[in-house]
Amino acid sequence: MHLKRPKFLCFKDKAEIFLFILASISIIILFLIIVFVLNEGIPAFIELGFSNFLFGQRWAPYYGDFGAFPLLYGSILIVLGSLAISVPLGVFTAIFLAECSPRWLSNILKPVIELLAAIPSIIYGFFGFMFLAPKIMEFLDVSMGKVALTASIILSIMTVPTIVSISSEVIASVPKEYRKASLALGATKWQTIKSMVLPAAKPGIIASLLLAFGRAIGETVAVLMVCGCVPQIPSPPWNYLKPVHALTAAIALDMGEVSWGSLHYHVLFGLGVILLVITFIVNAIADFFTKKAPRGVQI
Amino acid sequence: MKVVKERFVPFLLAFPVAILLLAFASIILFIGIGGFSAINLKMLTTSVRKGGIFEPIIGTLYLLAGAIAIATPLGLATAIYLVEYAPKGKINRIITQALNNLAGVPSIIFGLFGYAFFCRFLGFGISLLSGWLTLTCMTLPIIVRGSQEALRMVPRDFRIAAEALGVPKWKAIKDIVLPTAAPGLATSIILGISRVSGETAAILFTASTFLIKGLPTSPLQPVMVLTYHLYTLLVATPGASLNRAFAMALTLLGLVILLNLLAYLLRMHYRKRWKW
Repeated sequence: MHLKRPKFLCFKDKAEIFLFILASISIIILFLIIVFVLNEGIPAFIELGFSNFLFGQRWAPYYGDFGAFPLLYGSILIVLGSLAISVPLGVFTAIFLAECSPRWLSNILKPVIELLAAIPSIIYGFFGFMFLAPKIMEFLDVSMGKVALTASIILSIMTVPTIVSISSEVIASVPKEYRKASLALGATKWQTIKSMVLPAAKPGIIASLLLAFGRAIGETVAVLMVCGCVPQIPSPPWNYLKPVHALTAAIALDMGEVSWGSLHYHVLFGLGVILLVITFIVNAIADFFTKKAPRGVQI
Repeated sequence: MKVVKERFVPFLLAFPVAILLLAFASIILFIGIGGFSAINLKMLTTSVRKGGIFEPIIGTLYLLAGAIAIATPLGLATAIYLVEYAPKGKINRIITQALNNLAGVPSIIFGLFGYAFFCRFLGFGISLLSGWLTLTCMTLPIIVRGSQEALRMVPRDFRIAAEALGVPKWKAIKDIVLPTAAPGLATSIILGISRVSGETAAILFTASTFLIKGLPTSPLQPVMVLTYHLYTLLVATPGASLNRAFAMALTLLGLVILLNLLAYLLRMHYRKRWKW
């Protein structure tokens, strides 16, 4: 009698068992990350109370005030600002690359964009710290160069590659028939792009935007060096010319000085939990939009 | 009128492209000019305590070598398993999902995790070893993704031919698939190294300290790294020597550009060679 074993236990040879074990390590790593960050972060939520921690208005760890709201607000302010710059920049660049870039320019542009993605964040931080912040102080006539706007500009350069690479892939994958049909109806090239290509590519572009959001909110060193690190909600709240603080920056700045097991230590892991939850949600939504991209585009 | 307007569209689109190129050029020029006027051979080979940047450079290499030595076999094995043994099905989906999630985890979270797990729970302390393992977790998705692509580019016919000749599967992989995919695999590993070399947040509290005497002599000692040293020099040391900061930034940027150039050339070569 042929016994039907569950399929995942059917190993073809010894090599497969070995490879399977090594391959499952990535699952274990992800599991351990979640367990350990939660394990160290949950005590902060319990001790401070969920809403006191998340919506507390004052972040002054050395005075015992652990309200994460200014950090959360700062992070989101910076990231939204960066997207406001990088989305038009990235999407237009992607359209340019796909539709009207001469070959020689594409040959320069593509490696440049790849390199922009590869430049370490500390280099961006260094650039922002030494070059951009003084320039902002000079041109906008503010008393401090390290403000939310500086961080947004630096982050936008860092996230443009994500948006360009995914958007251009999606735009290129819009079926040729769509374009041809539109051109045959007498639409100009620009009209075709505007009313045929972009709407068809919209889910993919949204996915790229969300991935950029996820990447930007997790960015640490570059933000830390240029955001000013003042835990406040600027007045008015949309004022980009005030220094702010960010979730990631607070973790990186304080972690070196806390004693292991103290409330401050757990609070920093609690910030990590908030960050992890945000990135997982954003990535999951991005995943959803990716699947809606035309003709099963692989992103 | 329509036609006239249409002519301007490429120029309109070229505007963001120009901004992008300008941003790139200004970063490269700023660090290049500042760096080249600051850097010299003496600084590269002098100890940190005498105003050089010798230990951070060698420390970075230590950190890279170990992390890649661990991440490469792990990443390759995962990719081979996913492509050759489990191309679809539940297990493939779960592992792929795990890798995708891992790729989305911010680097500072890897730092927190590395501290809680490797440094504290496993008791490795702030050390080279903790840094290696933390960075391995980080680069794994990059290496796997690149290797998967490289393996998929090997024509199916190769595998079918080997099978028809009665070659066992693992042998066909070892002798035919892997050598064919080698340049692509190398590219993905180089890109992994490039990512690790610029990482700061993940080693902030797992591997590095600002000042140590000399280089680590065992994996259980902390190490000085370019990124971390640069970070502390700028953030925590007011009035520090900018010359050294520029020199380190240039070294780091040079390393990353070199690695990416290598990966780019390999890929070009690979594309030319394997055309079916």
